[in-house]
Amino acid sequence: MAIESIDFALCNGCGICVRNCPMDVIRMNRETRKAEIRYQADCMLCGQCLECPEKAIYLKPGWPKPYLLGWG
Amino acid sequence: MIECDVLVIGGGMAGWFAAIKAREQGLNVLLADKGYVSKSGETIYAGDTAVFDPDAGNDLAAWLEQVDVIGEYMNNRHWNELVFRDSRERLADLRSYGVQFEEKDGRVVRLPHPHANIVLPDTHKFPPTVSEVVHWLPGFPEKVRKHLIKIGVKLKDRFMVTELLLQDGRVAGAIGFSIEGNRVEVIKAKAVVMSAGGGGFRPVGYPTHELTADGHAMAYRAGATITSKEFVSPHSTNPKDPAWPPMYLFFSAGHSAAQPGMYSAPHLFNAEGDEVAARGVAWHGWIDAEYEAHEGRAPLIADLGKRGVLPVSGPGGHGSMFGHATGGIVPVNDDCATEVPGLYAAGDSCGTCFIGANYSGFGFATAHAAATGARAGLGAAAEAKGLGADGGIDEKAVAAATARLLEPLERKGGFTPNWVTQVLQNTLAPYFVLYVKHGDRLQAALSTVEFLRDHIAPKLYARDDHELRLAHETKNMILNAEMKVRSSLARTESRGTHYREDFPGRNDEEWLAWMRLKQEDGRMVTFKQPIPAEWRPDAAKSYEERYPMRLPNEVPGSGAPNAAGEGR
Repeated sequence: MAIESIDFALCNGCGICVRNCPMDVIRMNRETRKAEIRYQADCMLCGQCLECPEKAIYLKPGWPKPYLLGWG
Repeated sequence: MIECDVLVIGGGMAGWFAAIKAREQGLNVLLADKGYVSKSGETIYAGDTAVFDPDAGNDLAAWLEQVDVIGEYMNNRHWNELVFRDSRERLADLRSYGVQFEEKDGRVVRLPHPHANIVLPDTHKFPPTVSEVVHWLPGFPEKVRKHLIKIGVKLKDRFMVTELLLQDGRVAGAIGFSIEGNRVEVIKAKAVVMSAGGGGFRPVGYPTHELTADGHAMAYRAGATITSKEFVSPHSTNPKDPAWPPMYLFFSAGHSAAQPGMYSAPHLFNAEGDEVAARGVAWHGWIDAEYEAHEGRAPLIADLGKRGVLPVSGPGGHGSMFGHATGGIVPVNDDCATEVPGLYAAGDSCGTCFIGANYSGFGFATAHAAATGARAGLGAAAEAKGLGADGGIDEKAVAAATARLLEPLERKGGFTPNWVTQVLQNTLAPYFVLYVKHGDRLQAALSTVEFLRDHIAPKLYARDDHELRLAHETKNMILNAEMKVRSSLARTESRGTHYREDFPGRNDEEWLAWMRLKQEDGRMVTFKQPIPAEWRPDAAKSYEERYPMRLPNEVPGSGAPNAAGEGR
């Protein structure tokens, strides 16, 4: 399902994933000071969040919405 | 209110060059981007750029012929020459910004076009390629970002510009908001460079969802002319994990130039086990694959030889993923100025018609973005310098633009951007709308798009700052859809990636012309711009010589007399 999870224990709150995401999927939680997946449906699987220095982010090839292809 | 001399909207290759060149003129330059400059846009996925170098033995006439034949004479030769001639300097610029390239003995390694050494199955056909590319090494966007900061370009990351602000008929700035926190800000500028990329419809399998034709849409609304929206950028995917991007890397035979002869183009088989002859346009027999599906012989399988077998599915949702260096805002001079005073266009936002009706060479889009970016930056800087003290922006106009910007957030209810985007995709993604086209089906799609434009778009609502961005992007995608469908309807022939089932052939008598569109009295009108006589194909050559790539059910010269031109 696109970006799948951010490991709460591993996240160091650096914000690189928030910054890198072109689709604004990830936001910083002001209370916990950790990154969280806020708008998963807009993940386009570019993988730029995987720059995470703590390797706390997991992606899966799936898609949160129904697939729509030109034909299939 | 923020003030600057030159505002650059969009931070990919074109925006980088525009900002750097304007800044080098000693001006106050602001670069705004929806994402984070160096992580946004399309440039970051590119691996190479074309560099024309006479000292390396490159022949300009041969390069131009490549674009003519593959671009099917829809390329602008003047811009081809400008970009090719600029490319060596842009390469030197990039190196001076710290970008590293594949080098050997201190020299950048020049590689033949990836198709030049490809081993083709007998069933494949594409014209010879002579252009050459160079590869940069990973991390190049970060290098450019550092350089931008070093020389004093102000970066405004995660800021979406929604509208150009005009004062007395010229662009005087823009309005937008911070993606996080929806803080609205007006940016006053003496000149604006639009370098916000091309547009698509959030395709599955390609990370181009932020390319929602914002630049084309903003310029169109400000009065600019847009060109060549009927051509598409076909990229297929795989049915197993359609959202997982790397499919096209296999299908495009990779960068075979790095290891000549190593790769071969894939053999394509249909569901009945027959090999599909890939004789059509856009490199990989794309139109042949679409037509197999149309005839009920999908799924298709690509046999990649040693690399295994890959199922292939239709492109869906691309409908011109990003219209690389073809459609866009029409420039009126070599500095990429547009018809809207004070507005410049660069990169995929700029409709130079550089590549023509097909993607005519690897690395062309980045070379085009670099060249037009630099030119637009210098042009905008010269104009900004000449203006002296700038006037203000009418407060009422700012208030009205602010209200338009925030409107989706003010609404208590309506339609969510995600749902509207899905409806739009459902309308345009099926292969039979923007790939295998037909007048009746385009008309049907247009009815839906017009309904979305008139009834749904005004009722888009946003529940938070994130959805505010999506709402504006959705409006831009609806406008982009109307442009693509109207241009496709108007061009009553087939050419390049524009294939009309009802007119399955190129018609040189009627259609050696670009399809332009603009706003007149609030309506979108299409009109033809003839290709200069000296750039047309030699009429003494046979149809097959002029057009070596074949179309399904081809009827040479098919096409109707001018259906455009009267407006709609």
